[in-house]
Order: sequence, then structure tokens, then C-alpha cells
Amino acid sequence: MTHIILREKDVPNIRELDVYLANEGFDGLKKAVSMKPSEVIDEMKRSNLRGRGGAGFPTGIKWSFIPQSEPVKYVVVNADESETGTFKDRQIMENNPYQMIEGALICAYAIQATAVYIYLRGEFWDIAHDLDERIEAARAQNLVGDDILGSGYSCEVYTHLGAGAYICGEESALLNSLEGLLGQPRVRPPFPAQKGGGLYKEPTVVNNVETLANAPYILRVGGEKFAELGTQQSTGTKVICVSGHVNKPGNYELEMGKHTFRDLIFEMAGGIPDGKGIKAILPSGGSGPIVPATDEVLDTKLTYEDCQSIDTILGSASVMILDETVDITWAASKMTKFFKHESCGKCTPCREGTFWLDKVIDRILRGEGKRSDVELINNVAANMQGTTLCALGDFAANPILATIRHFPEDFYAHVDGDDEKAPVKAAGD
Amino acid sequence: MSDNMVKIIIDDVEYEVPAGMNVVDAAKWHASNDIPVFCYHPKMEPVGMCRMCLVEMGTLQRNPETGAVMTDEDGNPLVRWFPKLQTACTQVATDGMVFRTNTQAVVDARENVLEFLLTSHPLDCPICDKGGECPLQNLTMAHGPGESRMNFSDKMKLDKHVPLGDLIFLDEERCIQCGRCVRFQDELVGDDVLAFHERGRTLQIITNSDPGFDTYFSGNTTDICPVGALTTADFRFGARPWELTEVPSIDPHDAAGSNISLSVRLDRDFGGRAMIKRVMPRQNEYVNELWISDKARFGHHFTRSEDRLQKPVVDGKDSDWATAISTIAGLLEGADGDIAAIAGSGMSNEDLFALRSLVTANGGKRLGAWPTTHTGADLVAAVGVGVGTNLSDLGAGDAVLIVASDLEEEVPIWRLRLKGAHDRGAYVVVANARKTRMDDFASATPRYQAGKAAHWLDGIDKADPEVAKALKAAQNLVIVAGAEGLTLDGSRALMQSAANFLIDSGHYGKANNGLMSPLPGPNGMGLHYVGFTPEVTADIAQNPPKVLIVAQAEILSDDPYARAWLDKVETIISLNLFPDAVADMAAIALPIQSFAERDGTFTNGERRVQRFYTAQGPMGDALPAWQALSRISEHMGQGKAKASAAAVMVMMSNELPAFEGMRYRELSRTERQFPDISGDDMYYGGTAYQNKGGLGKVIPTTAEQGETPARADVSLPPVLEVGKGQFVVLPATRLYNLESTFRPSTLVHPRIMSPFVEVNAADAARLDINNGDVVEVKLPDVSVRVRASVNGGAPEGALVLPRHLTDDPTPMTVAVGEIAKV
Repeated sequence: MTHIILREKDVPNIRELDVYLANEGFDGLKKAVSMKPSEVIDEMKRSNLRGRGGAGFPTGIKWSFIPQSEPVKYVVVNADESETGTFKDRQIMENNPYQMIEGALICAYAIQATAVYIYLRGEFWDIAHDLDERIEAARAQNLVGDDILGSGYSCEVYTHLGAGAYICGEESALLNSLEGLLGQPRVRPPFPAQKGGGLYKEPTVVNNVETLANAPYILRVGGEKFAELGTQQSTGTKVICVSGHVNKPGNYELEMGKHTFRDLIFEMAGGIPDGKGIKAILPSGGSGPIVPATDEVLDTKLTYEDCQSIDTILGSASVMILDETVDITWAASKMTKFFKHESCGKCTPCREGTFWLDKVIDRILRGEGKRSDVELINNVAANMQGTTLCALGDFAANPILATIRHFPEDFYAHVDGDDEKAPVKAAGD
Repeated sequence: MSDNMVKIIIDDVEYEVPAGMNVVDAAKWHASNDIPVFCYHPKMEPVGMCRMCLVEMGTLQRNPETGAVMTDEDGNPLVRWFPKLQTACTQVATDGMVFRTNTQAVVDARENVLEFLLTSHPLDCPICDKGGECPLQNLTMAHGPGESRMNFSDKMKLDKHVPLGDLIFLDEERCIQCGRCVRFQDELVGDDVLAFHERGRTLQIITNSDPGFDTYFSGNTTDICPVGALTTADFRFGARPWELTEVPSIDPHDAAGSNISLSVRLDRDFGGRAMIKRVMPRQNEYVNELWISDKARFGHHFTRSEDRLQKPVVDGKDSDWATAISTIAGLLEGADGDIAAIAGSGMSNEDLFALRSLVTANGGKRLGAWPTTHTGADLVAAVGVGVGTNLSDLGAGDAVLIVASDLEEEVPIWRLRLKGAHDRGAYVVVANARKTRMDDFASATPRYQAGKAAHWLDGIDKADPEVAKALKAAQNLVIVAGAEGLTLDGSRALMQSAANFLIDSGHYGKANNGLMSPLPGPNGMGLHYVGFTPEVTADIAQNPPKVLIVAQAEILSDDPYARAWLDKVETIISLNLFPDAVADMAAIALPIQSFAERDGTFTNGERRVQRFYTAQGPMGDALPAWQALSRISEHMGQGKAKASAAAVMVMMSNELPAFEGMRYRELSRTERQFPDISGDDMYYGGTAYQNKGGLGKVIPTTAEQGETPARADVSLPPVLEVGKGQFVVLPATRLYNLESTFRPSTLVHPRIMSPFVEVNAADAARLDINNGDVVEVKLPDVSVRVRASVNGGAPEGALVLPRHLTDDPTPMTVAVGEIAKV
């Protein structure tokens, strides 16, 4: 398969502007500016591209929510890439940066935005620096800035570094952070696409790096052609980030619906090291529900809808593999510590729940827990679900709920069988 | 159903509520359904973060063709329910919304949120100031789980005594991160000096100002804090809420007349007598809503200061009332009618009327008001803001002009509320010779030359035609005219210019239109209505009478030039709270009671007559001024002494048209106010907010009584002659100062500025004056040594010299002087 996103695998040095231009670079933008903005959005709708940041919302529909009557509109590129186990946006920005810039400009033109902000996680300072140079190189070719490609349309592109918070990958917290405010999610509605809800209260499209990197191809070949790839509900390709207990971790761009977890893990990623067995898969990093590596799961195709059928999500496709040696309670603890560390603290259930869960799992891992502690964390996590402003509360509950559902024995192995004999620490416990 | 009303269903009952009303408020106001909240506050934007108000929410299913509500076989409407619970606080009422607040899912959610909140809460209710009026306590009792599943030793252990500033302490363990304090400072005050720091369970409130929590409204955050995390340095660990008796009162410090509640208990620290333990805001949506300034909250200590005058002093010796009264009677009889009085604004309406009666019955005619900085109260009476005015109504399409006033320092509550008007879209103009804080909340900030406020407003059509045009075109217009940088004549000219402007543009005689003035003290308008004017004081200074009664006017502490003419008065009779310099030179000094020791009424700057009630016992032998004065009248055979302030009001209402028909019973009437604050309320857990003392009554303007206000020519004061090397010296007001009614509040002393003069940077450079240098400001017959502040506050050629920061008085009105480095 030729790559749509990870084109550096087919075209060496595509990160350089001359190489990119020599290989259909900015043809998509050229095509776009020759169309009416609404036609660009229609093209995107026809592609049925779904957001690659994790939520999988149809991109064309997202763009169409922007009220055209508003004079000031923005495009924000979500390059926070903070989901556990995700490293695809980094590779795109390092190796095929112009495609993301082009995609962002196509989006900007489609909604007639006045500026594009690329919001990068703080650790991506080197990428931001590199992007700044590339934006200037593009400007020299009249691809960014005033009167882009002589179309009469003007748009600036800026990079902005976050201060290092998982929550700033959530679009409304990202917007707060971009405005210089505390990175906490906003109340919706108004949604970012609406007046009052976006960046500086102006209508804003927030799209993931990979999502936008698809746009030049869609414009070039047409939405319908793009939609021929993949399945009806999951069109195009997806960059899968494989990590954990595999021989060849890395990014793999696959046509959706053509491959199963088994293909991914055992063929492309080279299987489990040292010939060990596979125990579990986290298809979407720490935030999606864990699944045991049964044959049913391994034979599930990599699409949004197929993952749903096994009670998990494809999300941003950060597939983490756990081999048979892993104690799932330990894994749950690691994930819980992450979410405890990253909870913004705004909503009560997430702020207090992650803290509480961490305390109890630690107790279980120390061997001081009771059988009832397992039920306790299961219940606490259940109480966090669906009660918070953003999805982090749900994400933080997933590691507990799904690990206990699928691997209860791993938890009970740590606790004394008899509640009565278990150490009692203090009153009220 | 009117256009702006919609139908929503709460727990299967249909209610008609205003479209766009917040659902928490709508449920409370229209359905008496208290959806529990912690972070939501009806005065602030919802943030949906505590998750306490989760409810089931849905919309009525309608037939797409007919629009009719679809029903099931039993005729019940079909509802499309949201899959997840929704926060009621982030919803506004639209037609066809359906809510369920009593289902198991909602009950569980409330219990769960409370369990989460209590996981790390210290549960130190037995030693917590909020205990007894704590929303977290109340809601836990109502909705919480019986016990916690959290291991107590796993709780967060945090700092429990974090001073955010000199006045407010934070207990980090009690804080539930609702952010009300942060949002109050940010949204309502505009001093965003608080912030969240860190994240997750380590999220904490911090202050980012230096000095800490630098604002005049900090105390309000302790009221809206739904737990005991924020406490005041004044009240913390001082008493339990259930021991307190709430006494309705009025803030005695400024023209806003903020409704306050004095929380009183019998206290060991005050010899077992009733003692004011704290001051709380009392809801009056027309006056101060739910807020008070920190001066109102922390400026109550003077009422029980040991420095109070506690016995009548006759000829320099402690005496008794009988001796004092008979001596005064003799002095008045021997004055041949050459009697005059000067009264300050701390005097109640009843005090003033008793003083007026005494003076006039003995042939005196001259009733002077103090201080002689502001005048034009007569114009406020003529074209003041109309009955029904509520500054909270001002918004888009309306305009406000604030001229010659540093409103933040003079009447902070007006500044708070007019900031709100600006936020709602009102065109707010702040005109002054210098930058003031209100500039931050202004749409336009025209500058005039120091001392020329009246010249500017009188010629505004030429000076600032755009501003003039916008003000005239406004739907509603309120002008707040002060007297900063003016002489008394200048104040008259400015007030007349303002009145003329309003008359010309038709912005008078109706609600939300007209003139206001930050007259000093709580009863500036009362002085006018009872007949005391500053012009008469000026006349008294020119032609001193034989006998002068000085009532609650600390003339010598205010005015460096007054001793010259006071010396010419044969006999001074002083009535005051403190033995001030006037009392020292008086033949007789009478101790009178502060606002807290007796009842009475003040008339605020919006002409609202409001009652205050007795909270503490008298200091020593002090009497209410009205009683002391009416006893003198009785002694002189001029009518029987009145038995109560209420009786004085009856008499006053018979004699003075402004008070016609006014009765205490009427003044103590209340009505249901939005937001609905009542006992055990989720917006505030206690009862101090409740207004049980009355909303008062507004004296209508003469314009509203059918009198057509007449424009009058403005007589502009002469322009100050400033010689080479000279400066215009602008006196300024500081909220925190050394006036006798504030000085005893020692906890605020760290926030009182050291004496300073603001110098323009260009002038300072010329004179080689640096920020912080000691300088001497020389004025005619007066010179003061203060520190120079070179921070852009003063316009070039002018010095800003705040008053009441030194023990020696500085000029009250604009003057010409010099400055030199010492």
C-alpha cells in the first residue's frame, strides 16, 4: 500500500518543501482555493473522514458547523498528542510536516478562518521550532500568509507550545490553554464551532494533526475516491501506534477494515518478544477499555465499529500490548496514577475519584487490601463514569472497570480471601 | 403565555418560566425545588464543575409536521432523555425541556458527589467557623451518604492556615475547589487576584497579587465560600454562627448605604456585653445586592473603641447629662439667636431633625453640612435617579457618566455595580483629571485639566462631542458626579452642569435615569433633606456665630484652615463619638452613640431612606444624638423629649415634605428578592443574608412629583492661577484611611497606605524626585512631608495628595502648592 499520511516511507525527504512540492504537495490546497469554501466542506463530507484524535467525529460535518456569517474564525491544530501510547502526530510533524500545514490551510480556507494555531505539547519545542521555519519557507512560496496562491485568501499560521498537561489535548481545555488560561475544560454548549465557544469566543475548528493531514489527499483525489478505502463507517487509513510487548513497536499506517489485531501484532509488529503469550490489549492507550487477547479480540478488524463490538474503542489507535507476565492490577495502578496526575481538578468525581482509586489500588498492591476493596474501586470508578464535564472522568474510570471486568483474578490474587482477617487500618474504612 | 416565557416540566409538573433563566434558579424560584449546588452562584456564570446539580434531562418529542407534543397510550408526553445526567446549572430554560430531580439516578449522583467531596474533607466541623451555616454540612445532611468508605488516614493533609492577605485566611483542607472566590474576584469585581494553582487533587486557591488578595471586596468570598475554607481575620474562631443574633443595619461609611447585618453575641471580650462579632451583607438587590466592601465589613471596631467619648465634658471636666443639658440651655438662651450648627453625615435623619429643631426653636437659622467638599444634593433631590432605579438593570443601550470621582475609593459598591453595567454592555464614561481604577471598566476615559471638571462637562459638546452624543442617545443615563479636584463652587458648577445635561437630554424623573453623587458619609442626602447645606457652613466660616453646635463633624481633623475661624466662635458645643480636636476646644462635649448602639435611618446617595437597628449597648453614658438634643429642647420648654427615633420620624414626616408619610413600619418592609436567599439556602448556608430589616423607601425626586426641573446657568469657578514651579494639588480619597471611624479597625492598618503624594513622571524627573523619596508639599499655611509616588497616577502639573493618611489634615479642596525633595 502506498501511504497517505506516512508518506516519508514512500518518498524520502518529503519533509523538505521542494520534495513535497515535487510530489503533489499543496495540490490539494491549490484545488481547494479554486473551489467555493462550501464545496471544500462538501468534499470532506463525501470522504466521510472521521477525526483521528480519538472521538471519531466526522470531519466535514464538524467544519460545516462553523457559522459563515461570523467575520473572525480560527483553525486550531491539536498537536498536543498526550494520549498514552500515541506517537503518530510527532512522526507526521517531523517527517511530513507540510502535509499537516497544507491540511490546516485547506480547513482554514473551507471555513474562511483568519488564522491557524498549531497547539503543540510543551515537549515538542523542537518540532515547534522546526515548524516555524517551515511555515516561513511556505510563506516564501506564497503558500502561507497574504493572498495565498494568488487566491485572494489570506491566513496566518502560528505555533504555540503548551505547558505539559494531558487535559490540554481535550479541545476546550486546549483553547483555554491557548488563550493563556488554566488548562481546564469549558462548559459546552457553546461548542468551539459556535460563537462564544471557540478560541477567544470565536467559532473554531479544532482538529487533530492526522485528521488534517488527510485533507490534502482528499482534495486531490476527491472525497468519493477516499471513501473507497476502508469500510463504510471507517474510511481511509489510520496510523496505528503499536507499543508494549511487541518486537517491532512503531507507527503503522493501515487501511481501515483490512487488518485485524492479530495481523497488526503478529505480522507487522513482529509478535511478542521471547515467545511469550499475549495477555491483553489496550487498543486506545490508557483511556480506552482494556480487552483480553482472546481469539475473538485478535480477529477483530481495526475499525471504529469493530472495536465497539468488543466493548472497547479504537480512539486514537494507540495499541498497547501486554504479555502474559503482566499483572493487570499493576497495569491498572499505572494507568490510575497517570489519570490522577493528569486530572485537571475541575470536576469533583474525577479530582477526588482518581485520588481515592490510587490510594486503594496502592493498598491492594501492598497486600493490605481486602476483597471488598476490589468492589470498592469498581464502585468508585462506576460513580465517576458519565458524571464529569469532559471525558477524562470516563477515561480514568475505564482502567478500573475494564480490568476488573476482564481480569478479576489478578485483583483478588492480591487480597486476603477473608475480609475478617484483612488488616483494618482505621475507623470508617 | 407571553413571548419571553417558556414551559418546562420539572418532576412531571409544568411550570412557566422566563426563557433563558438558569434551570437551578428557575427550579428554585418557580417550583420551590432546591437543586443542590456548590459551585453555582446565581450572580456568576455557571461552570458546572462541582457536579452536585446533576439531574435527568430531556426534551419533549414533537410531531415533526404538526409540532404537537407526542404522547404514549396513557396520554403522557414522550420525552427524549439524554443518556447521561446533565448539570442543571449549565442549562437555561427553553420550551419543552423536561427535568427529573427525584429519581434514583439523581439521588445516587448527589450521594456520590458528596461522598467524593468528603473523601478529603477534614470534617473539622466542630472547630469550623462555617459549621452551622455551611452548605456542605447542610447538603450532606440532606443528600449525602451516612458514612464514608474512604480510609481516613488516606486523606489529603494540607496547610490549614494560609493567609491569602491580611484579611482572609485559606484552609486548604476544607476547600472543595468550587472556584466561587476566584470567579467572584474575576467576574464581579474585576480584581482577578485569586487563581487556581496546580491541578487534580492538588488544585489549590492562591493569590497572585502583592500584597496578597489585594482588593476592596475580599470579605465577600468568605460568604460565598460553601465551606469554611475562607475565613476573615476578623471573625475566624470568634464565635459559632448559632450563637449570633443578626441585627439589620446600614454601612455607616459611604453613600451606598449598603444593607448589612451585624452579627452580635454577648462576649467575654467586651465585658459580657453584646458585641459585634462580624459584619455580613444583607440582601438588598436595589442597593448592594449580596455584597459589601471590606471597609463595611471590617470597619466596625470604632463602635466599641475605648477611645470613644463616654461622658459629657463640661469646661474640660467629665460631667453628667443633667449638668451638661442645663449648661447648654443657659448658653443657648444667652446667644440671642446667634446660633448655628454644623452636622456631619454620620448623623441619622432623626439626629439631624432634632438638631434642626433645637437650633431653629432658639432663633438660629444657619444649618451647615460637613464636609464642604461636595454640594448639589438639592439637584440630586430634583433630578436624581428615579424611584425603582436598580444599577443592575443598566446594560446594553444605557450609559453611565462618572465624573470627578474615584469611585473605587469613595463608594466601592457603586464601583462594583457599575462595573457590572459595563460588563452588560452599558457605555460607561469615566471623566477625571487623572487615571482612577474605574478606568479599567470604562468605555471612554476623557481627561480634563486638573480642577476643571465643571468646565469640561459644561462644554462637553465641544470638548468630547462623541462622548456627549453617545450619552445623550442612551436609553437610560445615570450621572455620578463627585467633587474631586474641585472647590465648593466648582462642585456646585459641576452638579449644575450634570443636572443641565440630564434635563436637556430628558434623562431624569424615571427609573435608571438621573443624578447621583458620592456624598461623603452615609447620610449626605439626609443632611440636604433636613436642611443642612455646605454653603451655609461656608457662610458660618465667614461670619462665625456666638454659639456653634458641631455634631459629628470632625472639622479640625478634616480641614487645616478651619481653626482660624473656629477660634472666632464664642462657644462651641460638640457632639461626637470621639474626643476630637473640636471637642477639645468646645465648652461642652457630648458623647453620642454610634450607628450600632441605637436605631435610626440614613438616606443613601440614591435617596433611599433605610433603617438601622440597635446592636450593642451604649459606650459609657453616650446617648443617641436625637435624644440628647431633644432633652435639651425639653429642658428649654420647647416640647417634650421624644421617646424613640420612630417618634422623631413621625414628627419629621409631619414637618418636612421629603419625609411625608414615612413610617418605620413601612421602611422595614421586605419583598421576595431574586436570587432567593433564605435560611439553609444552597447559595449561602446561614441566615445573615436574609433581609429582615427592610428594603427602605426612596424619596421621589421633585421631578417625579410633578415639578419641572429648570436648567440653571452654570457659574464656572475661576481657573486656578498656577505660577512657575507651582502645581495644582488635588486632594483624593482613600477608602482605607485614618478617619476616627476607621482607625480603630487595626486589622486593616497594614492596608492603609503610608502618606504619599503622586507626582507625574515628567515633573518628578524635572525636580529630581524619585519614587519613594521624602518630599515636602507646601500649600498656603500648610506643609506636609510625605513620600513621593511616581507611578503615572498624577497628570503633568498636578499633585495628587490623598487625605486622612496623616494625623495632620491636608487641604480638602483643590489648591495650588509646591513640592520639593527633602
